[in-house]
Amino acid sequence: MTARTMGSRVTQEMLRRALEGRRVNIVNPLVALTLLISLLASLAILVVLLWDVVAKSMPVWQERGWSVITNDLSPRPAETGMIQGIFGSVMLTVIVVVLSFPLGVAAAIYLEEYARDTRITRLLVANIRNLAGVPSIVYGLLGLSVFVKLILEGVLGQISGRTLIAGGLTLSMLVLSIMVITTQEALRAVPLAIREASFGVGATPWQTIRHHVLPVASPAIFTGSVLTLARAFGESAPLLLAGAVLSTFFAAPEGTPITDLVLGEKYTALPIIIYNWSRQPQQEYIALTAAAIVALLVILLVVNTGTILARDALERRNRM
Amino acid sequence: MNFADQRLLRWGAALSALLLLAAACGGDDDSDAPASTAAPATEGLTGSIEVSGSSTVEPITALVAERFNSAHPGVGISVEGPGTGDGFQRFCAGEIDISDASRAIKVSEVEACAEAGVEWVELKIAFDGVSVLTSPDNDAVSCLDTGDLYALVGAESEGFRSWSDADGLASELAAAGLGGSGAPYPDAPLVITAPGEESGTFDAFVELALEDITEERGQDEPTRVDYQASANDNVIVDNVSSNPTSFGWVGFAFYVENSSVLKAIEIDGGGGCVAPSIVSIADGSYPLSRPLFIYVSLSRLAENPALGPFVDFYLGDGFFSVAEAGYVTLPDDEISATRAAWAGVG
Repeated sequence: MTARTMGSRVTQEMLRRALEGRRVNIVNPLVALTLLISLLASLAILVVLLWDVVAKSMPVWQERGWSVITNDLSPRPAETGMIQGIFGSVMLTVIVVVLSFPLGVAAAIYLEEYARDTRITRLLVANIRNLAGVPSIVYGLLGLSVFVKLILEGVLGQISGRTLIAGGLTLSMLVLSIMVITTQEALRAVPLAIREASFGVGATPWQTIRHHVLPVASPAIFTGSVLTLARAFGESAPLLLAGAVLSTFFAAPEGTPITDLVLGEKYTALPIIIYNWSRQPQQEYIALTAAAIVALLVILLVVNTGTILARDALERRNRM
Repeated sequence: MNFADQRLLRWGAALSALLLLAAACGGDDDSDAPASTAAPATEGLTGSIEVSGSSTVEPITALVAERFNSAHPGVGISVEGPGTGDGFQRFCAGEIDISDASRAIKVSEVEACAEAGVEWVELKIAFDGVSVLTSPDNDAVSCLDTGDLYALVGAESEGFRSWSDADGLASELAAAGLGGSGAPYPDAPLVITAPGEESGTFDAFVELALEDITEERGQDEPTRVDYQASANDNVIVDNVSSNPTSFGWVGFAFYVENSSVLKAIEIDGGGGCVAPSIVSIADGSYPLSRPLFIYVSLSRLAENPALGPFVDFYLGDGFFSVAEAGYVTLPDDEISATRAAWAGVG
């Protein structure tokens, strides 16, 4: 691999000399420089942002240690913590994975591998692309009217439908279209020759998909899913509408089993806590808000790294 | 390759099993939902209480709720603060147990509650003073009367970009005996950031400072509309403190928390200039002081065994939380009156 690229670079260099002689090419280095500056600019923004929140949150970590992570919310800034938000965000993500990953991948497989290219299919695909561009707040309205009001409070008769499952369903709707699109792109990138070879030896469409298309496409599907999940993890606007608690204090009855916490109790999420803390009057909340942002970033980083490692492992297996 | 595939398949199976399990639990749960909320009875009270409404009152109720919850861990409580109007909307739809309010209930809201069959009781719990603010660098302005406030932010002030633009209007008001004694104002940009219409603090400012003159002058709008409205009090505090000739207003607790970067303008309600302070708000000498309320749904009181004890607690030890949240405690006779109003219900 490396030998080949080195070889081609040497050839390129020889060609360039032969064509240009001793003249200096200005355009090429200029373009390279511009591109490099663009890269550095976006990196610089990220670094400044990170540095800012980490620096602002330092007093909290020094004074409070882990208690700021593990405590429940409290109206007293010196005792408050974000564990309820972390629990909410993690459970929301689990619900989103469980619902939108299989649904989205299955829908994309159908569209790419089975559906015939009719007008209806094209209309469907165009619609899914449009749905991916709908602002998240609209999904929040959908979640409130359909999941909270109609299904949970109406059909199922719950006293309050403002529960984790309603929030999770809302976020699943939000990311489903994006999941379909990224999976479609991943499937499209699989060379047609692989399918033809498989059909050529008499494999059925499903055998072809399962043994040949999906294994090749899975790393790209994984990457798409990770980005999608990160988006769901950071969303706050649709959750605010779909009933997450925006509060400095709330508590479920002691000893509530986890299924009830998901299906029947109020919830909040980490981005909601960040928003709420940022509007509190006490000075302590400036550092607390920064600490919550750091926690959100760290969790995202850990989840992303974990998934990327899993994807790489999968890729290595596939090559063998 | 096969290996990985089987693994994928196994994952898929596990995921769908989880999904089914969740669905099954959901089915189970709703059939005995009312029972399950009362189920984990360790000892004493169980149930859940939902409070929403004013963001000004939220800190008080949140402190009370936390204290109550540590005494009765079997009771789930949530306290939210989207705004007084939003709170009453959910309250009168029968969705919540208590509505926090930084103003008295409006006629339209009384009608909405009556229509939905929601009965309620009003309980006064504390005082707050609307604090009129400018930057500490603004030496030219230190005391204003209601005529001045009307000249600067009332309905007729639309388009005034500089404090001195209001001079003409102020002298007109002064001639009619409506105040305006603070004029002439400095010739400096008038940058206003204040709460928007959804806020109880907005309503309180309009009612206490502007309403009489607005009526006298035959105007329809409660305030000028060309100012930056924000539902986030920290945005108001930031904008007012960062601009040397700014103007705005917030609840007293927000001013106290940020008094190092803000200057509260003294208000003259006819009896001389008075600065907002715990003393002047409590004795009523500060003209822009207002009561804070909780509204308890009597319809929910019958169904919710935890609600009665919670309100009892609020009107007992809960009054300690008022000062802790930065507000002004009621005088003793008003506390007795609130307790009597609640006792009359039970």
